Amino acid sequence: MLVVAIEKERTFEKVAIVSFLTILFILSALLMLVSCLALLLTKNIMHACTFLLAALLGVAGLYLTLHADTLAVTQVLVYVGGVVILMLFAVVLTGGQDQESITKEKFPHLAPLFGSKSTFLKAFLVSMIFFVAAASLLRLGEKEIVHVVAVNYAPTIQSLGQLLMTDYLFAFELVSVLLLGALIGAALIARPMKK
Amino acid sequence: MDYSFWNIAPIILFPLGAFVINAFVGCKLYRKGDFISVGAIFASFLYALRIFKDVIVDQHSKDFYVHKVFTWFDLSVGDFPFKIDMGFYIDSMTATMLLMVTGVATLIHLFSTFYMAGDAKYGKFFVFLSLFTSAMLALVLSDNLLSIFIFWELMGFCSYSLIGFYVEKEAAGNASIKAFMTTRVGDVLFLLGILAIYNIVGSISIVDIYSALAMGSFEGQSVIGVSALTFIAVCLFGGTIGKSAQFPLQVWLPDAMMGPTPCSALIHAATMVAAGVYLSLRMYPVMVAGGITDFIALIGVITAFGAATIALIQTDIKAVLAFSTISQLGYMVMGIGVGAYNPSFMHLITHAVFKACLFLAAGSVIHSLHDHHTHGHVQEMPRMGGLRKKMPYTFLAMLCCTLAISGVPLFSGFVSKDRILGDALYFGMVHPHKWMMIVPVLGFITAGLTAFYMFRMLFLTFFGAPRDEEVYNHCHKEHFSFTQNFPLLLLSLFTLGVVYSGSLTGLGKINIPVVGKEWFSTLITMPKVEDFTQREKVKMMDSHLPEKFETSHYHVHEASEMTHEEHVLHKAHSIGAITSIIIAFLGIFFAYLMYISKGLNPAKWESAFSCWNKALKERYYFDHFYEKILIGKGLHGFNNALAWFDLNVYDRYVIDGWEIIAKKIYLGLSWFDMKIVDAIVDLSGTIIRFFNVTLRTMQTGRIQFYFVVLFLALSGYMLLTRI
Amino acid sequence: MVSLSSFLFLSFVLFLTGLMLVLGRKSIIFVLIGLELILNAAALNFVAYSRFVTEKLDGHLFALFIIVIAAAEAAVALALAIRFYQLKETTHLDELSELKH
Repeated sequence: MLVVAIEKERTFEKVAIVSFLTILFILSALLMLVSCLALLLTKNIMHACTFLLAALLGVAGLYLTLHADTLAVTQVLVYVGGVVILMLFAVVLTGGQDQESITKEKFPHLAPLFGSKSTFLKAFLVSMIFFVAAASLLRLGEKEIVHVVAVNYAPTIQSLGQLLMTDYLFAFELVSVLLLGALIGAALIARPMKK
Repeated sequence: MDYSFWNIAPIILFPLGAFVINAFVGCKLYRKGDFISVGAIFASFLYALRIFKDVIVDQHSKDFYVHKVFTWFDLSVGDFPFKIDMGFYIDSMTATMLLMVTGVATLIHLFSTFYMAGDAKYGKFFVFLSLFTSAMLALVLSDNLLSIFIFWELMGFCSYSLIGFYVEKEAAGNASIKAFMTTRVGDVLFLLGILAIYNIVGSISIVDIYSALAMGSFEGQSVIGVSALTFIAVCLFGGTIGKSAQFPLQVWLPDAMMGPTPCSALIHAATMVAAGVYLSLRMYPVMVAGGITDFIALIGVITAFGAATIALIQTDIKAVLAFSTISQLGYMVMGIGVGAYNPSFMHLITHAVFKACLFLAAGSVIHSLHDHHTHGHVQEMPRMGGLRKKMPYTFLAMLCCTLAISGVPLFSGFVSKDRILGDALYFGMVHPHKWMMIVPVLGFITAGLTAFYMFRMLFLTFFGAPRDEEVYNHCHKEHFSFTQNFPLLLLSLFTLGVVYSGSLTGLGKINIPVVGKEWFSTLITMPKVEDFTQREKVKMMDSHLPEKFETSHYHVHEASEMTHEEHVLHKAHSIGAITSIIIAFLGIFFAYLMYISKGLNPAKWESAFSCWNKALKERYYFDHFYEKILIGKGLHGFNNALAWFDLNVYDRYVIDGWEIIAKKIYLGLSWFDMKIVDAIVDLSGTIIRFFNVTLRTMQTGRIQFYFVVLFLALSGYMLLTRI
Repeated sequence: MVSLSSFLFLSFVLFLTGLMLVLGRKSIIFVLIGLELILNAAALNFVAYSRFVTEKLDGHLFALFIIVIAAAEAAVALALAIRFYQLKETTHLDELSELKH
């Protein structure tokens, strides 16, 4: 097992060993970022769904770096295997028209606020930079993390299961009812109209 | 006799009552109520007779008077007095006038029942006659100038109504308006005089005026630059000029002959025109103090002479009489001017009697002569002639009166006219300006002319061969009828001189049983103003007489020792008497020559004086002057000038100027309304639209827009609450 | 090296991308894609905090619930998208600006 050094946010100490988790993090982050960028720039809706898939995979990888193994798997199962498929089906059922490039499309309805999409993109970049700068300057998220978080690489599924059935039982039941409702609702809404 | 209110007032109230009754219910009464009028005036005559007997016969004192007053109104405030008293004033002049007016009026009322019979407006005639007589009697009885003026105007109204009695004749309407307007000119002056007197004296009662004169209240006063007395005298005499048809206001009297003949007899011969002379007689002290007696004499004599000359060529019988009335009134005014106070009054009385009789006789003639073509009556003398046989009673009356007016001795006219002429001669002889001899000279010439034209009228009407056969044949022979002939004969009885005096010269020897001789010439005396300062006034309803009055009697002029003045006077009277007799007979002789014996040819005389003849026919162009020049050019020109000013200047600039101002105000207000008020009104709309636009932009219905807003709101909230 | 702030930054990028897709894209599918990304960003945030701040696994659980709900919501949303397409023959969101169909 890797040893996690005691990390204090204040000091930027480089860790000598580049651990697997770091590499996984970098790769997942890269994947996610590229997919996001591609989503913003693509015109093709099929490509967009694919890029969504990639982004979600990236997020799953990020979950793994956060020691959330159950979550990562659930992510892949539900999102990638369910939602994206659902979207692809919807794309098929709604004609699958291509969109204009985001840079070309204008925001006429958002004209009072944004102008063209290129303006929007630039605003996005600027705000990202601003956030990073502001966050680092204002030390946002710097709660006093004093104690060392003992890392254990134990699988989380057992704990999650226990939590679900004890502390969050009510929420669990509700969510299942919600899923039922969603199923029935979706089926009802998507029924062909009576002419 | 006790001069209580109920002994005096009925004189006025009887005719007034007759007027009221006839005016309101006359047409329903038997014979349209003429008997009420006649009865009323006869009753007044009886009362007047009673007063006359008491004043003239019993008292016969020059100082006897009865003065009863009541306060008409009293609006005095503080020490500013404003009180008008009215009342009766009876002295010998009043008593005589009352008797004359009521007597002549009764006879004329009687004659009118004959003359106006068959006329459609028979009743209306008596209504006006009654009103007129009541007004005249009230004037004679009144004691102050204001009530004289009131009744003067009332008589003017009755004259107007009666001249225009025949409404179907447009000329009659014009004549009535002319009469009213011309006398109006005189009345305005009269009123001015009254106002000036009231301003200075503080009262308009005749007695108060006399005492003010005696006390010298008029000294040093002046009205519009001239001496007050002169102004007042001229103004009051102006009333006389208007009412008594003197020069220059004589133009109305000839046209007044358009009225019915009894009205001409009463109003324009005997009473109303005499009222002017009566006023001058009453105000004689004022005239003397104002120093205008020469002026009065000149006016009088010019009037007398001018009218006499115009009468020479008249062909209408009533026109001759009208001009002769003007001429005789001129004599009376001349008499006032030369100082013949008594003779003027005497002439007024005698003239009233014989002129009324002349008019009634003329009316009788006119009434009998029908023109079957026009269904009217004949008034033109060229169509008459030889009526002596057909109308004997009328002829007799007219003969007596013509002799009287001509100044033939033994008749009344001689008594009075001779005295006037004698006094005029005296006046001319002693006057500082020798050219004032023209006054008596013209007076004598006029006497001659009067005789001439009156006898011309008589000869043309009653003598000679009838000029219009048809008219002559249709004329009925006159029977004696009470209403037609009795008035004529009674009046002509009173034209005999013996009634008034027993001698040729009028210095009478008839004795009044109580007081003695000379009753007519001592009827009245020229008032001495000093006597009036002590006079007392009694309240109207009190029945006792003033306790203090003197009964100084008239004394007969006894020529024991004459002063030089009296010597000249006597000489003047003698010369005057003889001259007037000679001239009268000359006039009659000329008329005889021209019209009976045809010795002189009237036509030749006319052509010889053709220019003058034309002037006479045009009545000396007075009518032309008044109507065409004074009114036509002067008054209408003035009217047009005022109208031009009104339309072009006043309307244009003042009235229409307001239009411009109003327009400017309107523009200002409309700018204010549109720019400011509307802007405020629009502001609400603008605010709403603003909100509408902004809010509408928010309600796009697009989900993504709502997302943006939501996101911005949330992020804003979070940022703001966390920082 | 791997710290909380990097995960926060990543979740921010994800959130921003999702937001831009929701706000900027015209097709309804794209909007739903963006919506998924936003939800994922939130879940990532939860898990990051669970790992770095607390020992408990509440964050994991919450992220699990997010996934479930996101799936349910995606199903219903896509059904709506299909219905929208059936009505308007297009997926252009501007057509969806009126309540009446």
